[in-house]
Amino acid sequence: MNWQIFFAAMLPQHLLLAGIVVLLLAEILLPRPQGAPLLAALAVAAAAAAAFLLQRASFQGTPFPGQYAAHPTQMLAVLVMLLLALPAILLARAEFRAPRYYALLLSSLYGASLLPGSESFLTLFLGLETMSLPVYALVVMAFRRTQAPEAALKYLVLGGVATALLLLGVSLQFGATGSLALGRFESLMAAPSLVALTAVTLVVLAFFIKASIVPFHTWAPDAYEAASLPATAYMVVLVKAAVLFALLRVLGQASVTGLLVGVFAVLSVASIVWGNLAAMRQTSLRRLIAYSSVAHAGYLVLALLGPAGGRFQSVTLYLLAYGAMNLLLLASLPADEDDERRDRVEGLRGLFQRSPYAAVMIAVAVLSLAGIPPLPGFIAKFLVFAQVMAAGHVALAVTGLVASYLGIYFYLRLVQLMFMSPAPAHAGAPASTGAVDVATGVLCLVPAVAVSLFPGWVLGQL
Amino acid sequence: MSEASVLNLVLWLPVAGMALVTLLPAGRDGTVRWLSFWLLLAQFFLALWLTLRFDPTVAGLQFATSVPWIPGWGVRYAIGLDGYNVLLVLLTCFLGPLVVAGAATAITTQVRFFHAMVFFIQFAMLGAFVAQDLLLFYIFWEAMLIPMFLMIGIWGGQRRLYATFKFFLYTAFGSILMLAAVIYLVWWQSQATGTLSFAFADLLRTPPPREAQMWLFAAFALSFAIKVPMAPLHTWLPDAHVEAPTAGSVILAGVLLKMGTYGFMKLGFPLFPEATRAFEPLLLALAVIGIVYGACLALVQTDIKKIIAYSSISHLGYVMLGLVSLDLVGVQGAILQMVSHGLVAGGLFLMVGMIYERCHTRELAAYGGLAKLMPVYSVFFAILMLASIGLPTTSGFAGEFLVLLGAFNAAWRQHLAGSSYALVLNAIAVSGVVLGALYMLWFGQRFLFGASKAPHAPLHDLVPREKAILVAILAAVFLLGLFPQEAMKRTELAARDFQQLVQRAPAHLSLR
Repeated sequence: MNWQIFFAAMLPQHLLLAGIVVLLLAEILLPRPQGAPLLAALAVAAAAAAAFLLQRASFQGTPFPGQYAAHPTQMLAVLVMLLLALPAILLARAEFRAPRYYALLLSSLYGASLLPGSESFLTLFLGLETMSLPVYALVVMAFRRTQAPEAALKYLVLGGVATALLLLGVSLQFGATGSLALGRFESLMAAPSLVALTAVTLVVLAFFIKASIVPFHTWAPDAYEAASLPATAYMVVLVKAAVLFALLRVLGQASVTGLLVGVFAVLSVASIVWGNLAAMRQTSLRRLIAYSSVAHAGYLVLALLGPAGGRFQSVTLYLLAYGAMNLLLLASLPADEDDERRDRVEGLRGLFQRSPYAAVMIAVAVLSLAGIPPLPGFIAKFLVFAQVMAAGHVALAVTGLVASYLGIYFYLRLVQLMFMSPAPAHAGAPASTGAVDVATGVLCLVPAVAVSLFPGWVLGQL
Repeated sequence: MSEASVLNLVLWLPVAGMALVTLLPAGRDGTVRWLSFWLLLAQFFLALWLTLRFDPTVAGLQFATSVPWIPGWGVRYAIGLDGYNVLLVLLTCFLGPLVVAGAATAITTQVRFFHAMVFFIQFAMLGAFVAQDLLLFYIFWEAMLIPMFLMIGIWGGQRRLYATFKFFLYTAFGSILMLAAVIYLVWWQSQATGTLSFAFADLLRTPPPREAQMWLFAAFALSFAIKVPMAPLHTWLPDAHVEAPTAGSVILAGVLLKMGTYGFMKLGFPLFPEATRAFEPLLLALAVIGIVYGACLALVQTDIKKIIAYSSISHLGYVMLGLVSLDLVGVQGAILQMVSHGLVAGGLFLMVGMIYERCHTRELAAYGGLAKLMPVYSVFFAILMLASIGLPTTSGFAGEFLVLLGAFNAAWRQHLAGSSYALVLNAIAVSGVVLGALYMLWFGQRFLFGASKAPHAPLHDLVPREKAILVAILAAVFLLGLFPQEAMKRTELAARDFQQLVQRAPAHLSLR
């Protein structure tokens, strides 16, 4: 092994690892550790800076031949995840002071950052599990809700099913081709045999479970609701992003063809329709976000049907807009001692009178998630459907667009509650906005503004 | 400074205004109002300068800017003025300061946010008019919904939530199908011609095959028809108008409804000429139904705002009639009628707002004999009412007359060719003129004359601010009525271009 390449190619991961080690040491050695959120944020920022520099320098290197390779596209995916992780860490600081939370979060992030550079199913599996296992713990760490252990268990079981399906699919591939290389999976996708089709379907379904695609989405509402808000933010944004980047990596340069198109199309449209319909009936904000994220997973999977060339771009742009806006939404929610009260949709009533800044931020976030221009969600949605159309699936694109219309109502309702309903008499005091809150907001808004004003430039960087 | 940058300045000034207003400290409502007013007035003078500088002898775009925006997808930031939009841009900028001035005493809560929303919608509407790229147009077109949704929902009347959701969901449904059509159209073009471009000019060059045109036209037309609104898709309009605050109604009636007719004129018809010709009888029928049905409904309303709302449906029916005629005079009349309706309906809604601020009811039965109670108000109201009917020397006459002239020109040609369908429908449309006079005069009779009554007597007559607003509107109404030639010479080349685009022979392009 060439140590120089090993050092450089995985520099972002090394920095995350250093952060994890320091956090764990602090947890063990210090009686009352302080500044854990800041330390975690610094580690992620340093990793992001490293990824940025390596990406700019078009660094290429293979520290573990056949297992892991660094290249600009991979580095970009890592960079996007790290950038989204930064606000996710900052918004946790009020709720979690202990280093263990951040050690878990960074571990999960470490796993996620392995996914885009995987060259074989072995590394991919390692990354996927390293990413998932800490999240089960994050869900149960909430302790503010009695449902937390139940939700974590549900998530764990369904995650286990996904793992099993993935392993089954991979073993079929190994049986058919004698290799675990991801490159072989691409050829498997074009192969006409039944074994190949089964293997591909199993692998894809495993990712669909993790991405909460209908009908495998049931864990998401429970897990999101029961987990504490920062853990929810991490799951909504980063787990989704990591799974999608992994799926992109697995599909490689292969186009989705034949029977698989049907699987992708039916399940994604079902996700969009059902996610949007179910979100209308929610009274818990995090359940609502969960169902909305089911619908968004649908759009993302639709984008995978596009031609291999522009697929990475449109998915990455979508994840950037979707992630930034969900984080902005969650970061702007008014604080409340009672977690359950904070989670109520009705709690937003009259927010505009209490804290106009937060209300406007939430409105920007939800209208963007609804895909209303000129907000970034629209450009992202447009690119997805343009991709689908470009692949020749005209009817599917039209169906998807019409289904996306269903999603407008419940987002508008949130805006209505905040702006057009009088505040309840006993409403809490206006939330104070500190420097870190502003920084979190800015971190979410910068990619949003970039995507909506200069989408051409952003796409050029991807 | 180059001339093109003036148009950019006009377009982006509201964004600057929005930023300034939000940055002002809370509690400085007076400053916010004045700042907004002066900014919008400055915008109007810039737009006026552009209109006067606009060279009517040049076909195509003037003051144009075109830079790549999303290069990979062939999307450009392309804006410019031409005969299609020059008058509408002026109208939008003209109504802007008046809306702010009219809301000076009506809006007392969340003043900063209100003005930010006025700037936002001004930006979106202007953007939709000047955009020369289909995706850019779509973005502005759809962005309009957000400020209007908030405006009706926050400062609206009793049933504002119902009205604002209906408005948003109705229009968004049309838009989502249009988006599908936009993407398909561009994708088809890129397959057929090898260039991926959203520019109007590129898309107009090669219309898709007939069958595709039918579907695409249907999607575009649905979206535009909802916005116009054409019967039977009009039901959101009365609710939105009635519940909206005065400023919202003025923007809706004054400019927003013209988006639909402008969309038909600039995109719907020229992009899909064969489909347009195929759908022409249907569109003609719907236009005539709109004229007569809107007028009949206006006749029986008891809510003042609803009368004007339904009269808008009727008047926009004329615009559609003029466009569908594809006659040069008719199309120019349609553009004139758009501007005229913006001025007259905008003025009437402002006047309704003024009386509502004093009496807090829109029930027509509560009023009577205002001529004695508020003589100055009544004079202004009577003049605007007559302009709405289309009395000669007012802008309403010029628009309506030219539309009907053009429509009959076209119908007569068809009659000679053996089809009297259009002629019969046009004859029915003319009855709308009579109905229009009937509902307006009857409304005026009950409102201004008869036994004096008002919910809050004694009423104080118009204050100087209100007089100034109305004088400005009446000046515009008479200027346009007396010198329509000034407006028409600017639209003539666009009307010819429109005619030629819609009547061109089918292209023989197929998928490669």
